[in-house]
Amino acid sequence: MKPETREYRYDWNIWTIMENAALVKDGTDKEYESLLGLIPHFADALDIFIRQGEPGVRFIKLVANYIRACIEAKALGKKTVLTSFSMATPILYAFDLVPICLEAFTIFGTVVLKRGTTEFLDYCCEIGFTETSCSSQRGALGAYLSGLAVRPDMIVCNAPGWCDSNANSYSFAASYLDVPFFQLSYPPEVSGKRARDFHRRDYLDLVAFLEENTGRKLDIDRLRRLVSEAARQDALISEISDLQAIVPNPVPNVFELMVYGARSFASGLEELTALLESMVASCRQNARRKLSGRGTTSESGRGLFCYIDHYTTDARLWAWMDTRNLSHLGSILCRYWYGEAGFVKGYDEGYTYSCATLADMIDSLADMTARMPMVKQIRGPYDAPGMWLEDNLHLARLYQADFVVYFSTVGCRNTWGAVKLLVRDLERMNIPTLLLFVDAFDDRVASWESITDRLEEFLHVRGISCGGPDKASWKA
Amino acid sequence: MIETLRKAARSIGNPSLQAWNEGGGKVLGYPCTFVPEEIIDAAGILPYRLRGITAGTMSIGDAYFGPVICSFPKCILQLAGQGSYGFLDGAVVVNGCDSMRRLHECWRKASEDIPGTLPGFFHYMGVPHKATDYSIEWFKEELGILARSISDHFGTPVTTDSLRRSIRLFNEIRSLLSELDEMRMSETCPVTGSDAASIVLAGFAMPREEYRETLGKVMARLRKSKPVSDGKVRLMVVGSASDDADFVELVESTGAIVVSDCMCFGARSFLKRVDEDADPIEALAERYLGGNLCPRMFGWYKDRLAFVRDRALRSRVDGVILQNIRFCDLHGSENGLLERDLEAEGIPCMRIEREYGPLVETGRIKMRLDAFMERIRTVGGRRS
Repeated sequence: MKPETREYRYDWNIWTIMENAALVKDGTDKEYESLLGLIPHFADALDIFIRQGEPGVRFIKLVANYIRACIEAKALGKKTVLTSFSMATPILYAFDLVPICLEAFTIFGTVVLKRGTTEFLDYCCEIGFTETSCSSQRGALGAYLSGLAVRPDMIVCNAPGWCDSNANSYSFAASYLDVPFFQLSYPPEVSGKRARDFHRRDYLDLVAFLEENTGRKLDIDRLRRLVSEAARQDALISEISDLQAIVPNPVPNVFELMVYGARSFASGLEELTALLESMVASCRQNARRKLSGRGTTSESGRGLFCYIDHYTTDARLWAWMDTRNLSHLGSILCRYWYGEAGFVKGYDEGYTYSCATLADMIDSLADMTARMPMVKQIRGPYDAPGMWLEDNLHLARLYQADFVVYFSTVGCRNTWGAVKLLVRDLERMNIPTLLLFVDAFDDRVASWESITDRLEEFLHVRGISCGGPDKASWKA
Repeated sequence: MIETLRKAARSIGNPSLQAWNEGGGKVLGYPCTFVPEEIIDAAGILPYRLRGITAGTMSIGDAYFGPVICSFPKCILQLAGQGSYGFLDGAVVVNGCDSMRRLHECWRKASEDIPGTLPGFFHYMGVPHKATDYSIEWFKEELGILARSISDHFGTPVTTDSLRRSIRLFNEIRSLLSELDEMRMSETCPVTGSDAASIVLAGFAMPREEYRETLGKVMARLRKSKPVSDGKVRLMVVGSASDDADFVELVESTGAIVVSDCMCFGARSFLKRVDEDADPIEALAERYLGGNLCPRMFGWYKDRLAFVRDRALRSRVDGVILQNIRFCDLHGSENGLLERDLEAEGIPCMRIEREYGPLVETGRIKMRLDAFMERIRTVGGRRS
């Protein structure tokens, strides 16, 4: 690691950037435009959020407040827990813990830092990780393992059963830092009594682990408030997802990132509700005016991302889609299988929230976590009911996708093991599908320029961006 | 006797397997030590651990798996696709790791393009990543489902009595292999590491009663054999699935002798017995999931470190080779922790990433081994 990298603490560094970014719209538009020229390395990443108006500013403020909470936790006598993006944060907040969502911190660093998280990715390899282990954890984990970020008091991970690389990163961190570790494990099936009983027992064990390591009993009233808030939030997220089905899609492309980014660490917090309400209002307004999220009356194509998004460098994926007038229909990351969502009804049993008793809340959280992004789709055979293939076909049809793109990380053994089969099946259904060998968090694998070349070529050859005769013929 | 085992270890087929097949015996393949062989054996079927040795190309494996996947399941798929596993009547795939779990889909899909390459019985079994009362209960149910599926498909019932017989047979084999393990770790190690590897590997591919007889004879001879370890640097090999006796031979060609291991094709496969008095399925679930030393059981690093450290000390090794197959995140990163902790205790370690399969990287690995041996010889091995 370069000596100068050690000069700044990773989390503090990102916090100062976000804290200041949240203030840029406090001045005039002219001041803002002038500022962009002064911050060439942040301008793209900043502007994609700021141009969304109130929701964008709220999002940046939410992120800044969250990171400050992580940094200040110890001074305020709170414990921190390093945890996965697909964990249910209400249970952690109920214990007054501050969750440090590793994948969110990797995205923050990848998007806002000039060199991304390169040195932290490599630091992990220096101390043992394989060079191709998943970058979505390694990116920020390097900072936590090198002592350049808040030291977590415990680790809770819910990846075992659907992602070895993810689970292994948390398990490694627990051994390396010698802190208590708990895993929620997932059997191959999502639903059914057997799976549900397993999830419930696993969750009860988690509660026992948290009680032991926080020295607190679970505050049931607090949990109830958090779960009720999470239910409200998931209803709002479902509305955003459902609005995406409209042509043209009234949801701004980057909202997708804002939804899953914020939900990964703020589910249950009132701040997230306010952000989501502001996002929904913006989408509804576009829908009323029959405008796309980019303010246009039509769209040149509708893209579904069958796995994750791409964050290097400066989050230019969303801006690139905006300039091509393409609609982002979401990825696995923003699909929460909340039972009230339009895309869930009649397709999947989904999850619902009940706050009547503690047992009900535990069941609700266990059901919800079992259907979180990736937890649901890639825990069993890719072509089993309700898994990766079926979900993609369902969503592609419902949202009238013109094309599907696979972005990933090099370390994603689980999806790389089946993605060729998925692509083949989707193509057989006449859904143009692009498989990209890139790394969402590490542009040394493929530069953004080379990626856009591939995307442009794909859209051109398949007649999507130019509205050719074979456009979306499968939909007929 | 040992020549029979050497041949069985270095090839996919072997004469005993062939004779079993020709006599109408069924064979069921499995890729991972989380599958209880006893259940397959109890149905009168030969349990055969799938391997990828002898795969000379990856033309089929790469067509279905992605590019950044462990070459072990890819090689298995390659062999299946090219018909080398034509003798299989069935296969059980488990989520031992993310690369291995996808063998299930890749094999099924490959068979659509290359008909006849999927065995008639094809089963997926979910294995939890933790050993708690409820996860062992889940695993027990999975074993029950497996037993019933085998019984229904092959028409040969898996009964409590047949399970008990199989458990006794496999425990006898484990006892013999544990004795071999103790012999190897002693000062008067009577067998090279490559021969020891062959002895263990053959046990995954031969009819087990015949294997037990052969193993018994080999052990009788080894009990009287002279030491072969004198003057050699004593090493232990740890890490990813390694079923290549040639790899061990390469290590030993540098003037070392491999006297101990911690691998799923080695000691990890036979050290723990199954309780013969308990309910058979329950006992199998306890044995195969509880205390399993594979790093896919997240959160048990300290237990694994203790196991490796204990074996390293008991076998008086001068150094430990921590190897992992490329793209094996589980063993790869755990090897980093083991290196840190064993070196801190004065046990020299060499960490190496390699490809599975034929020794295509012999030169590179040899160079690393030579450097490690030089370190041990110059600086000294494990500090007492």
